[in-house]
Amino acid sequence: MTIIAQTYEEPGSLWSRRPQFLTGSLLIYAALVFWAFVSLFPIYWTVTTSFKTAVNVTQGHLIPFVDFMPDWKGWRSLGLSPDTIFAQSTVRDEFIRRFFNSIAASAGASFLAVIIGSLAAYGLSRFSYKFLWMKNKDISFFFLSQLILPPVVLAMPFLVLYKHLMLLDTLTGLVLVYTLMVLPIVIWIMRDQFDTIPVELEQAALVDGCSIWGAFLRIVLPIALPGMVAAFILSVILCWNEYFFAALLTSSNAKTLPVMVASQTGSQGINWWSMAAIATAAIMPLILVGIFLERYIVKGLTAGAVK
Amino acid sequence: MSHTTMPAAVPPSSTRPARTARQISGARHGQLLLWSATVLLLATLLLQVLEASGITSMGLVSWRPLLFAYILWAGALCAAQILIRGEDGQRAVFVLPAVLFTVAMVVFPTVFGFYIAFTDWNLSAAAGRQFNGLNNLRTLFADVYFWNALLNMVYYVLAVLVQYAVAFGLALLLNAEIKARKFFRVAFLLPLMLSPVAVSWMIGKSLMEYRFGPAATLARHLGWDNPAFFSTPWLARTSIMAMDAWVSIPFMMILLLAGLQALPSEIKEAARVDGASGWQSFKEITFPLMLPVSMTVIILRIIFQLKLADIVINVTAGGPGGATDTVSSFIFREYRDRSNVGYGTMLAEFYLVIIIIFVALILKGASRWMQRDN
Amino acid sequence: MKVSDFERMMAIGLSRRAVLKTGASLGAVAAASGALASFGEAFAQDVSLRSQILQVPGVGKGSPTDADWQKVGEMCLEATKKSVTQGEFAGVELSFMGLNNQNLHNVLFRGFLKPWEDYTGAKISWIDLAQADYNPRLQQAIATGTVDFDLLEMGAPFEGDVCGKGLASEMPDWVRAQIDMDDYVDYLKAPVGTWDGKTYRISVDGDCHNFNYRTDYFTDADLAKAWKDEGHEGEWGVPKTWQKVQEVTKFLKGKTVGGIDAIGYLDAPKAWGGFGFYFLGSRATAYAKHPDDKAWLFDTDTMKPRINNPAWVRAIQDVIDALPSESGDQLNADPGTTAFQQFLAGTGSMVSWWGDVGAGARTSDSSVVGDTIGFDILPGSDDVYNSKTGQWDKLASGPNHAPNMAYLGWGVYVMARVDSDEKKKKAAWSAAAHLGGKDLALWTAAYPSGFQCYRKSQFDIKEWVSAGYDEAFITSYLNSQSNSYNHPNAAIEPRIPGIFQYYSVAEDELAKVFAGHATAQAGADAIAAAWDKITDQLGREEQIALYKASLGA
Repeated sequence: MTIIAQTYEEPGSLWSRRPQFLTGSLLIYAALVFWAFVSLFPIYWTVTTSFKTAVNVTQGHLIPFVDFMPDWKGWRSLGLSPDTIFAQSTVRDEFIRRFFNSIAASAGASFLAVIIGSLAAYGLSRFSYKFLWMKNKDISFFFLSQLILPPVVLAMPFLVLYKHLMLLDTLTGLVLVYTLMVLPIVIWIMRDQFDTIPVELEQAALVDGCSIWGAFLRIVLPIALPGMVAAFILSVILCWNEYFFAALLTSSNAKTLPVMVASQTGSQGINWWSMAAIATAAIMPLILVGIFLERYIVKGLTAGAVK
Repeated sequence: MSHTTMPAAVPPSSTRPARTARQISGARHGQLLLWSATVLLLATLLLQVLEASGITSMGLVSWRPLLFAYILWAGALCAAQILIRGEDGQRAVFVLPAVLFTVAMVVFPTVFGFYIAFTDWNLSAAAGRQFNGLNNLRTLFADVYFWNALLNMVYYVLAVLVQYAVAFGLALLLNAEIKARKFFRVAFLLPLMLSPVAVSWMIGKSLMEYRFGPAATLARHLGWDNPAFFSTPWLARTSIMAMDAWVSIPFMMILLLAGLQALPSEIKEAARVDGASGWQSFKEITFPLMLPVSMTVIILRIIFQLKLADIVINVTAGGPGGATDTVSSFIFREYRDRSNVGYGTMLAEFYLVIIIIFVALILKGASRWMQRDN
Repeated sequence: MKVSDFERMMAIGLSRRAVLKTGASLGAVAAASGALASFGEAFAQDVSLRSQILQVPGVGKGSPTDADWQKVGEMCLEATKKSVTQGEFAGVELSFMGLNNQNLHNVLFRGFLKPWEDYTGAKISWIDLAQADYNPRLQQAIATGTVDFDLLEMGAPFEGDVCGKGLASEMPDWVRAQIDMDDYVDYLKAPVGTWDGKTYRISVDGDCHNFNYRTDYFTDADLAKAWKDEGHEGEWGVPKTWQKVQEVTKFLKGKTVGGIDAIGYLDAPKAWGGFGFYFLGSRATAYAKHPDDKAWLFDTDTMKPRINNPAWVRAIQDVIDALPSESGDQLNADPGTTAFQQFLAGTGSMVSWWGDVGAGARTSDSSVVGDTIGFDILPGSDDVYNSKTGQWDKLASGPNHAPNMAYLGWGVYVMARVDSDEKKKKAAWSAAAHLGGKDLALWTAAYPSGFQCYRKSQFDIKEWVSAGYDEAFITSYLNSQSNSYNHPNAAIEPRIPGIFQYYSVAEDELAKVFAGHATAQAGADAIAAAWDKITDQLGREEQIALYKASLGA
């Protein structure tokens, strides 16, 4: 975000102005800090809990090294603590396996959804379709309506369908169903994107003799690419935590992480430290995505706009 | 909405010049391709039906050949569109893959689901699945749990407006001239990353725990003796809404922020020159310009909100006394815990109809409103 | 050999076999674990093996980890080695479906079976389910014919759904011998585990609710004095009847013990996927299970629900009356909360639960109450309702006790789909038998595993004491279980299809009652109506027949 930040932040701009502006900016920073606390505290709580023991949890200790001495207990139960990391661990093997399945399923589905979703979004943004009684608006709504059905009722139909197509417990099957899940979101986001790209660019290309697809591929696509990256990242985030279909359609080959996180709960109470450790480990990739790729999300979603 | 009112880039097909010979021969090839692919698809379907009904036995173990035949047919259809209809075809091929994919994925579940909804099917029942006409619908109309949950959904959906207001505020903050912008952006985005299960347990059952949870401790310090967040109806509902808001605000915020940054900067400059106060320029310029993206955000969120279930199931199980129950969590109990698949499906189909009408009305209302506004 | 040593050796790349050979000099561990096959025979029945197992990782050393499970699995492999030659199942692939519950169940089985896999050459893939998914997944797999597992961890209440549909493989005789089925406690012997006279189940767990209480509360002098001062009848002590439990719970409101607010019994009003109903059951069985009548949940001949008879309504009313005296957040407490976040964490003085509470009190990381827990069978009642006469009877023998055999324990079942392949069938049964082994059972009962005692041989108090358990503590714990299992008036759960549907719908209605939206009687009537509807939907004639069979009537 450095480039934008530089253009916006004139040195000392906030502090050199009138006093009422100062109180205004104080309020702004107070609000920012407050919300940062609201956003980060639960995550801080989760991460620190993974280093706690029972007593630290039940007494509500907050600050490591001050309130309590960190302990590797939670991470040991995953086979990821320093003393177990090189030993054989059935739990860690399981975790790693699911981890890579999760990556494959969410990245694969997001990739597919972004490709066919962007194409559809471009079409819906630029051309007037008419299929039977359905116009653009209705086609958009048709896609959107796929989001609406509570997934639980798709359980039996999908189970039967996947059984007959031999897609149960395959990554392909999971990718397909996740694509279906994020496709409407990709289409809606990308359609807004294409709407902001001026039509004149393509018209010029068409006049120059490009075909419609040629204009799309050569002119529009490069402009929309950052937006597609943004849609891809959002899709990955949405797929990563999907639980219901993962629990229903996979058994041993294609199993993913959320089921393992959910399994930390059950009839024997809860080991907070294990739960916290596995929750932390499971969101780590997403947090890294957030830290390193956040700029691409916002930048990508605004790339088409004329500044 | 704005995008649908935008003029199509290319004039409609009727005004175009007569087709060339090349196009006509292409059209013939296209027809041929489409017909042969269709025949192949239907033949495969026929063979599979014969095999499944036990009339033939060719050793087909699954319906996969039909899947491959469909993929082939879909490809042929796209190619044929271009060959037959030229530029119109090229345009159609943009949207066809998504349509064909979606149809392929949902056509069976929808039809089968629709059939299930009119059956009496309890997975543990000795008699198996039986058609029972409108009985499920009758049960539904008399089901107090369903109507109670539906009423709760009204509250939950209204909460989306609050989420939207907060998300918009945050987006404005992040769009202002602030230091450490990157830090705040990342920080505000992070809650989106947590899975509902982790949120339920690490926040609902740990952070807000009555005895040791920091939230309860803080509440005690602030003078609330009995900080049981889930024991009275409105409090429990509000707590659930707060947790849900915590996860979902970042999603709205990021889309709104992108919308804000995409606003042409001249407009803001113009407002500043006019001497409009912050509130005025927001009300008269920023907000109206943000309406399209706001609508997308609100619609997407409402749809997600209507499916709210995980957090409720884990944290309150619908309690106390059904105060936090959602339609989805009720369907979960009926469908999964009680294996009452027929009735559970009817509940969901009925709910689907309500939502579709509701969302269609919002979309319609919104597009009217925005047109009038413009 | 300490676990840490074991781990360090594994870390520097020694194979398991080499480790155990090195360990021979350390004595009995290696010998008993059977690495030296020639000595295995002699040591097979050696008590030292059992005591060695109990030292992994050692009572009071916190929760066991993966390395411990693998080690225990290795040490208990002797029985397998007798029936299977090394590498015999090379190339066999099995899939195992079970709970992945909180690092127990499947997670444990993985560790236990790892040495078994190494030895036999078979490979197991795992299907882990969260508890909430278990019932739907199983039912859906059965209904759509997508049974894709060879081994299944399952509770006896589901036998009607699985064994009744011919999906399970009948137990071969050699397995019966290997796991010593005569050792099972009596209530887990046939008909439990069998269907139409055929045996299907290898038990790995036995279940009953027992009564857990805090000894420091009931020996507290101040409370004893206050009890007298307030004019209560009898001495201050552990309640033996539900009437007393109610009295004590109300009495404790507003008192303190050790500076912390005193709380009596802990109810679990929040729904828990059907499992919450067991906890109302534990309060109700003493009222509802008459010694002259085997039935207590439904009438035998008609399946007419008894849930709205005066006995059950009284139990529901008890909960309503007790809730105001319990913790401020009690209305949102499910059984997991009461046992682990409240009782083991030091809140509340009485709770009904499975054996996990006692097993966890000393060996689980989440327990802070350790030494101050005592155990008993569930409280009784001064009078018991007689469904035949519609009267409350006072028994000549004193209070009526009726321990609640909730869930009947987990078992391992082999699916019929392996029957066509002899090698695979043997492998599947061998794996199941390894998990259901006699020595392994001792360990799972002593450490957090999700399993409790189910064999007579597990009740040898000497073994537990030598493992480091306090004698008074473990005697109290084991007696509470064996007295429940062997109680002549035990309330045994009916194994009828769809039993959890009944529980689930009851939870929904009870939630309304506990939140004050309906009276106990109205709520109970609503449950009865819903139950009748379920029975009709499932097929009343079939349900009645199965119900009678499960009662042995």
